[in-house]
Amino acid sequence: MSGQGQVSFRNIVKLHGQFAALKNVNFDIKPGEFFALLGPSGSGKSTTLRILAGLDAPTTGRVMIDDKDVTSTDARDRDIAMVFQSYALYPHMTVAENIAFPLEMAKLPKSEIAPAVKDAARKVKIDHLLDRKPGQLSGGQQQRCALARAIVRKARLFLLDEPLSNLDAKLRLETRAELKKLQRSLGVTAVYVTHDQEEAMTLADRMAVFMSGEIQQVGTPAEVFARPNSIDIAGFIGNPPMNLVPARYVDGDVIIAGHRLKTTATTAVERDVVVGLRPGALRMTEGGLGARVDLIEDLGDTAVLDLDCAGTMIRMRVADGNIPGEGDTISITARPQDIHLFDPATRMRL
Amino acid sequence: MATTAVTSAGIASEAPRSDFGRILAQRERRFAAALLAPAFLALLATTTFPLLFLVYTSAFRMDLAMPFTNGFVGFENYQVLLSDDRFWTSLLVSLVYTGSTVALQVIIGLALALLVMDMKRGQGWFRVIAILPVVLSPAVVGMIWRTFMLAPEFGIVDFLAINAGLGSKNWLGDPTLAMVSVIAIHTWQWTPFAFMVLLASLASLPEDIYEAARLDRASAWQRFRRITLPLLRPAIVMVIIMRTMVALTAFAAIFTVTAGGPGTATEILNLYAYRKSFTELSIGYGSALAVALLIVTIIISGILFAMRRAK
Ligand SMILES: Nc1ncnc2c1ncn2[C@@H]1O[C@H](COP(=O)(O)OP(=O)(O)OP(=O)(O)O)[C@@H](O)[C@H]1O
Ligand SMILES: [Mg+2]
Repeated sequence: MSGQGQVSFRNIVKLHGQFAALKNVNFDIKPGEFFALLGPSGSGKSTTLRILAGLDAPTTGRVMIDDKDVTSTDARDRDIAMVFQSYALYPHMTVAENIAFPLEMAKLPKSEIAPAVKDAARKVKIDHLLDRKPGQLSGGQQQRCALARAIVRKARLFLLDEPLSNLDAKLRLETRAELKKLQRSLGVTAVYVTHDQEEAMTLADRMAVFMSGEIQQVGTPAEVFARPNSIDIAGFIGNPPMNLVPARYVDGDVIIAGHRLKTTATTAVERDVVVGLRPGALRMTEGGLGARVDLIEDLGDTAVLDLDCAGTMIRMRVADGNIPGEGDTISITARPQDIHLFDPATRMRL
Repeated sequence: MATTAVTSAGIASEAPRSDFGRILAQRERRFAAALLAPAFLALLATTTFPLLFLVYTSAFRMDLAMPFTNGFVGFENYQVLLSDDRFWTSLLVSLVYTGSTVALQVIIGLALALLVMDMKRGQGWFRVIAILPVVLSPAVVGMIWRTFMLAPEFGIVDFLAINAGLGSKNWLGDPTLAMVSVIAIHTWQWTPFAFMVLLASLASLPEDIYEAARLDRASAWQRFRRITLPLLRPAIVMVIIMRTMVALTAFAAIFTVTAGGPGTATEILNLYAYRKSFTELSIGYGSALAVALLIVTIIISGILFAMRRAK
């Protein structure tokens, strides 16, 4: 039954009364791809996932899976496994019974169910908890149980709604790697919702960035990181995110706080722009933009400096051993290719 | 006792604190006892004492029609009872009445609750209308049914039966139909209670597990069997227990509709005890019947509570 797992969203709109949770969403997911839906809270990620699963119907638009229009197909018949943001474990069943449930519904013989349940539980490290009820598990254990219930079935599409949000940092890294390996070995298409951009960057083959009900950019994590499409994405991706500074573009240069920086980005005429500068792309040099060090956040191997450039706050990442003192005045610059330009009116990339 | 043992065996530095805790707990317990005492005494006076008096009475012959035979008889009333056909019949009627009304209330109440849960609009109205029979006095309900619903030719039920081609029936005069009628009346009045409890319980079930079950490919029936029913189980058992207690001791509705008749066709044990005591004025034997009803009730509730605890 497990087919390809190719997905297309065509002009999907979802209204809740007057409120548009999704405003014309379009994207395509290739078979076998690990696709992340990234965006801040309330941007429509879960809504998108629920429409794909068939739990909610879009107000308008088409959902295609493997070139078939499934917009009005019941969730039961879509061959999709999902990990809910709320786990949605069956409270009256033990962990083992929870994991076995989809297999029982698929009418698998008992002799095959037991080993499959064990195997799935072992993959997410809850095989010692099989006899417990969900109410007797910690949040992270419940989340892993939900994960096991989803992976035990070989569905063609695998939807995950923030499946690692409740795990501790170490377990999250481990499970993340395990998930990626699992998805590779099964060859299924995975759609992964997260608001953690680092998670999306490390896991996804490609990702769609949601902003208030719209997709603002689709691409590989590297692409999105290197060339954010809009001011909103630029301010969302990266840790710390890109500095966004009002400036003026004049003939191949940008003027920030009276200082000229060369840029490879071009725009037709002299105009006001917003300049994007990655904290990691800034360098200390002689004769650059003058800035006072307000605050130093030491992260161990690197440090993040909060700089005051004539009233504008700019953050900069520097390597250890190269850290100025608080209150010092330094001079910074950036390479021409590291300067991003955005239109302050449309908020789009120039 | 246990506290002292723990304290003396416990770590020395902990002793003052747990001593303090014990005094506090003791004071609290005394205060609680003082608060509870009036209620406890009232309960004792109004339930335990009459109950004991009932048991005491059942050991006497107390025949107001033949006072000269009165006196202590020990277990004689109970011996008579065991060979009294009318007792066994009334016990059977009680069990049939209880079993069928409770089953009907749970099944119809659950079906209604499931239906109403799926209603997008009008849920509130439905609840208000549904609760109406419950707030009526059973005696009034009996009167309504006897006049409005079951009266020959003019009663709604009889009217419907005639129009359905069944012809006019003697709803309260025929032994079987009379039993069906009193069962229907009780079910009509009390199904809304089961409905309300089950609806509330149903509404408290999380929605996301049904979505998960749909994705796990459970059919509507499987979702009901494997998820709804087990999760509603505590509520269903609770409803069964509460309704069984009430049905076993039902009185007013049957009394006003058939008064146990025709003959003894609808004479439940409760009604028999009443008739024996206050119509035939045989109070000692009536008390024995009441004690028998009490024992039956205790046995059945014992079984039900055991069921509740079992998995
Ligand atoms: N039933 C509903 N009625 C009205 N508004 C809704 C409803 N469901 C969702 N919304 C709104 O739709 C928007 C998108 O919700 P959604 O759950 O998709 O966000 P999300 O991106 O998953 O956020 P999070 O990261 O917090 O889970 C939110 O603003 C939410 O308030
Ligand atoms: Mg969400």
